[in-house]
Amino acid sequence: MRMFKDLLGLEGLSPDEIRHILQTAKPMKEVLLRPVKKLPTLRGKAVYTLFYEASTRTKTSFEMAAKVLGADAVNIGVSQSSVNKGESLLDTAKTLQAMQTDLIIIRHAASGAAGFLARHLEAGVINAGDGQHEHPTQALLDLFTMQEKLGDLRGKKVIIVGDVLHSRVARSNVWGLTKLGAEVVLAGPPTLLPPELSVLGVKLSYDLDRELPGADVVMALRLQLERQQAGLFPSLREYSRSYGLDRARLRATGKETLILHPGPMNRGVEIASDLADGPQGMVEEQVTNGVAVRMAVIYLLMGGTTNVVA
Amino acid sequence: MWWLKNIYAVDPSGSCGKRDILIREGKIEANAERLSPEEVAERAGGEPVESLNGEGKYLFPGFIDAHTHLREPGQEAKEDIASGAAAAVKGGFTSIIAMANTEPPVDSRGLVEFVRTQGARAGLARVYPLGTVTKGMRGRELVEMLDLKEGGAVGFSDDGHNLQNSEVMRLALEYAKLTGLPIVSHSEDENLACGGAMHRGKAAARLGLKGIPSSAESIMVARDLMLAAETGGKIHLAHISCRESVRLIREAKERGLDVSAEVNPHHLLFTDRDVDLFNTSLKVNPPLRSEEDQEALLTGLLDGTLDMLATDHAPHVWEEKARPFAEAPFGIIGLETALAAVWQRLVVPGKLSPKRLAEVWSLAPARRFGLPGGTLRPGSPADLVLFDPEWRERITSDSLASKAQNTPFLGQELQGFPTLVWVGGEPVLRGRQLCPAGDGVRHR
Repeated sequence: MRMFKDLLGLEGLSPDEIRHILQTAKPMKEVLLRPVKKLPTLRGKAVYTLFYEASTRTKTSFEMAAKVLGADAVNIGVSQSSVNKGESLLDTAKTLQAMQTDLIIIRHAASGAAGFLARHLEAGVINAGDGQHEHPTQALLDLFTMQEKLGDLRGKKVIIVGDVLHSRVARSNVWGLTKLGAEVVLAGPPTLLPPELSVLGVKLSYDLDRELPGADVVMALRLQLERQQAGLFPSLREYSRSYGLDRARLRATGKETLILHPGPMNRGVEIASDLADGPQGMVEEQVTNGVAVRMAVIYLLMGGTTNVVA
Repeated sequence: MWWLKNIYAVDPSGSCGKRDILIREGKIEANAERLSPEEVAERAGGEPVESLNGEGKYLFPGFIDAHTHLREPGQEAKEDIASGAAAAVKGGFTSIIAMANTEPPVDSRGLVEFVRTQGARAGLARVYPLGTVTKGMRGRELVEMLDLKEGGAVGFSDDGHNLQNSEVMRLALEYAKLTGLPIVSHSEDENLACGGAMHRGKAAARLGLKGIPSSAESIMVARDLMLAAETGGKIHLAHISCRESVRLIREAKERGLDVSAEVNPHHLLFTDRDVDLFNTSLKVNPPLRSEEDQEALLTGLLDGTLDMLATDHAPHVWEEKARPFAEAPFGIIGLETALAAVWQRLVVPGKLSPKRLAEVWSLAPARRFGLPGGTLRPGSPADLVLFDPEWRERITSDSLASKAQNTPFLGQELQGFPTLVWVGGEPVLRGRQLCPAGDGVRHR
């Protein structure tokens, strides 16, 4: 197993490396479900979260993960910091370096921002979403959730539906799922699923209903309202009619298909409430698993081995 | 007087071969297959003769770059006219055309004359200004084109911005007829290009970067050609990057339009597959496109659809480029590296002949913009480049005369450089060292 300083994306990881992270997340989840969820493992380590884009669940999830492992988690509020005074990302990074940070968790609107930091810092970097590029821990928690319910993902059919073009979640999931042997179909309207996405090496389809039969997992992506204003689709109503997930539509899979959503959900647009809250809906499970997977990633990047957590 | 003996002379306006060449009083005195010492002494008329063995070297008419951003006035942290002119002669360019998108933009005669004066003060390459098309580059009112021409402007361009308003472009093409100068178009539909960071294609889809489609350029090329046809105006299309544009220009030339077009070396040397999220020196507008586009550009350059090479030398300060890819400004510097890189990657492998190189980077821009140069005929100004195909140099931030270092060749070694450059018969580069005139205003 290679030793990493950073987790920037899943494209560059091997299948074994992904499996190793997922394996490590299992005992982490057990720790998380204990009445006293605290380990001394990373006591004295400093983990900083630096979020240039709004986020509640991802940021909290990382903070929780770091704290359970015993690290000190410090949040840098971008809106109150010198970033607002025009400080460049590079200077911000150098400042954090000077504070002897061990690990920086960054979300940024520019693709490659996390990699940019990693190149300039000795501290480890976790990409918590960079532009439209990757969101590796989200994909890892999705993989973990699917594996927990379905076992080995080889040959399993996973449909990712929605705004694939702008989705870092979709990109990271495609890399992760294909490395673990799953069959992936990307579905959405042509404006959100342009032909150059064929570079991801999976099937592209405009017709969700035709793809549904046999699907083991359907993942709905969050639809940003500003895409409608930019003219990428005419209305939420029309979008929902073709690509919104509901119980009736999901019958076509012929299976107890798992429904995933990275959140936050637009209920009634990309996903119907009865489906999201029903037994097939994995949304809350995903959130719990998110903390476990992030614990595993933080732990492994800080040099941990799988058998310390007991 | 200079006597260059037995040198391989590449004359795009004539023939190529081993020649003896004399330089005297700022002009090419003689260009012959062989000169005897007696003939040379007679021509010198008592003047001392500096003779030079040209074995293994090439002599080119000074290269002329039709597209440079010298950033002065206003953005001297990136570059100024003196540093840009120094970079030019180090790269073999004896004349450069300065784009007008400075701060303030070059939209008045006073500013045109300022750029020329600064060029003359630097005493290196000849610097020819473009004026803007519209006042303040705001895309509305035309500049005083006649006055700017009298001040020394050699064309008009709102480069960096495109004239989105087609009626303004039409009027510019009409009115510029009074000057006989070309309108230089930065063909880009801003709505299609909006927010993109690289070519729209598979590489962008993989990296998660917003793409700039080829149509952002070709649609405006088509529009500009239609307007040129309708008005009979004179147009030069800057930095052509995609195959659709090449096809449109080829058709337009078949129909006899007064159109010329340029291609930047980086579009011939790199594609979108070379782009990664960290090397912002490959972030350029128009973006590096696909291999098919690259092939079409080279074909176009060889068959005459594309008339000239031009660097689009676009300096930026290091801090601006030391950002995530999507946030870094567009631009590549080229003056000091472009000739060597094109030599190494296109001329040496036989894709581009030395003669065609001199046609597209010296003769064609001279003719299109009405500049002296582009020839080795006796009587022409002695703007000359002695080129050593064996000379190797590593490109480093210290070695660059430009203030900027946003070049994809940084840290790499290139082979094939000018070792002696004359402007108006005076050496301005000797043994790779600059030798600017001590007495200030030298040219013209």
